Amino acid sequence: MRPGKIYLDNCVSTPLAPEVMDAMLPYFMQKFWFPGSFISTGESTNDALAGFSATVAKSIGAKPEEIHFTSGGTLANNIAIKGLATALKRGHVIVSVVDYPDLLTNAAWLEKQGFEVSYLGADSKARIDLDQLKAEIRPDTVLFMTTAVNHVVGTIQPLQEIHEILAAAPNKIFFHVDACQAYGKMPLDVNTYGIDTMSISAHKIHGPQGIGALYTRKGTKLGQLIHGVKRVNGLQTGGLSIALIAGFAKAVELSFADLEGSIKHLRDLSNYLYTKLQEKIEHIELNGAEGEGRAPHNINISIDYIEGEAITMMLDLHGITVATGSACASQGLKANYVLMAIGKNHVQSHGSMKFTLNRFNTKEDLDFTVEKLAEITDELRKRSPLYNAMKKQEK
Amino acid sequence: MQYSQKVLDHFMHPHNVGKMEKPDATATEGSPSCGDQVTVYLKVNEGNKVIEDISFLSYGCASNIATASIITDLAKGKTLDQAKEITWRDAMEALDGLPPVKVHCSVLAADTLQTAISNYEIAHGLKEVPNFSKDTIVEELKKIIYPQVGEDIVSLKMVKYVGFTDGEVLIDMNMMSFDSWRDNIAEEIHEHLEKYPEVKKIQINFP
Repeated sequence: MRPGKIYLDNCVSTPLAPEVMDAMLPYFMQKFWFPGSFISTGESTNDALAGFSATVAKSIGAKPEEIHFTSGGTLANNIAIKGLATALKRGHVIVSVVDYPDLLTNAAWLEKQGFEVSYLGADSKARIDLDQLKAEIRPDTVLFMTTAVNHVVGTIQPLQEIHEILAAAPNKIFFHVDACQAYGKMPLDVNTYGIDTMSISAHKIHGPQGIGALYTRKGTKLGQLIHGVKRVNGLQTGGLSIALIAGFAKAVELSFADLEGSIKHLRDLSNYLYTKLQEKIEHIELNGAEGEGRAPHNINISIDYIEGEAITMMLDLHGITVATGSACASQGLKANYVLMAIGKNHVQSHGSMKFTLNRFNTKEDLDFTVEKLAEITDELRKRSPLYNAMKKQEK
Repeated sequence: MQYSQKVLDHFMHPHNVGKMEKPDATATEGSPSCGDQVTVYLKVNEGNKVIEDISFLSYGCASNIATASIITDLAKGKTLDQAKEITWRDAMEALDGLPPVKVHCSVLAADTLQTAISNYEIAHGLKEVPNFSKDTIVEELKKIIYPQVGEDIVSLKMVKYVGFTDGEVLIDMNMMSFDSWRDNIAEEIHEHLEKYPEVKKIQINFP
């Protein structure tokens, strides 16, 4: 057993960067003040907030006033989708079957409110079907939403093509993007892609948990979802954690100081991991897009003939955290819906392993992980009737 | 709820694991689509009917492996009649309990053992192939665990009515419309009953 843990489930959350901690500390005890007018405490917080908003806005090509801090990605998605629905009242919405649960559960809610929803399919790499998107657009289509980077297999959705399709429609179709997995992993300029609303989250980029933001294009009308005291603007009712926002802004600074370099570093690490996996373990396949078509931090593979919960449990005993799409590891005992939607069979879904990396992971971490995973795979395959049957057939 | 230390021990170091050459009887239950499958191999003394050796293979999660391991421990050295008394509750108890959502693994392990014994008895003329009846359906339903609480759906009185006419199974269930396990239970009922050639159609009614 090595000291410490190797955490390879960074699509869920990442460790805080030390600089982020330093940036937050003064705002917990000395400068904890809420925004306000004419007195020094309130004004200094106004100034600080303006600076933090500008930092976050710049990272996506937005204006500071278009950034609304939220408690995280899910609240941002809800304020955008439910806010648009409240303002629009009725219409047709398009989403895809491989989207993040935030979007799919909101789509189900929209249906209950009387909206009609079309669900796009996806190809074997989890890229959404653009021909179907074109075909589904109707005169009353009001909203299209997508997950920029698929949360399971890491495939990047074709935002440019989507933008062109939506822009060519005769009516205005709002474009909402859940970018929580994509943010800091690829360039995301809201003007390039004509995005109207977009959710981002701090703790996926070494920022603090409990803070995210919603980008809302100037002029976009969102119905009020949460009513209460207004401290900054209409969407941000209630209190704000100035310390968490300070941490978020610092995490953005660190991630975007050299975005290209950071992407390259993550891609080098994930390529290294995938090469090692292929070298050391037989009968595996990559899930999702290849090469540049996937987010630089995500490698998702299926290991044939064995089941993922058993694998993750054994890796955990070695101090290694990874995720699986196995039904046995899920709350609802269901195989992962994204993997099933892109045509994987049950065994491929049950045996799927998702490795998501962060910038602090090292090649040594990955070497140790692959070494242990290879041993575990051998052991579990010896116990597996499916593997024994395959071996018998080979003979 | 976490796994007990006993579950972890049997998962990491299972007993009696591996394919058996020339077994006297074998059985495979479960399916890869459910994410769990167990094969049990038996060697039985023809004279005193004692299970002299037993082993298993498992495709499944930690509790699947652990429950198969413990069921082989429980059966080894027992006569067939004694082994027929072993239930999923015995397996679960011997492992110091299982999380409710994992109780179905112990059912699969016990079920595979019982099928292997039954296969032995049929092959050796010790019993006839049982006729399919309404009782068979009820026995199968008793193997389906409601994952929320880790009890079978018959004990929980979730099955209101069972009928069997001309190959058609009719089951009335007592599960609320907001119960998120309804689909899982319906799928499991299909998996348990579709393996019988006598079953041509399954109709499950929820309120």
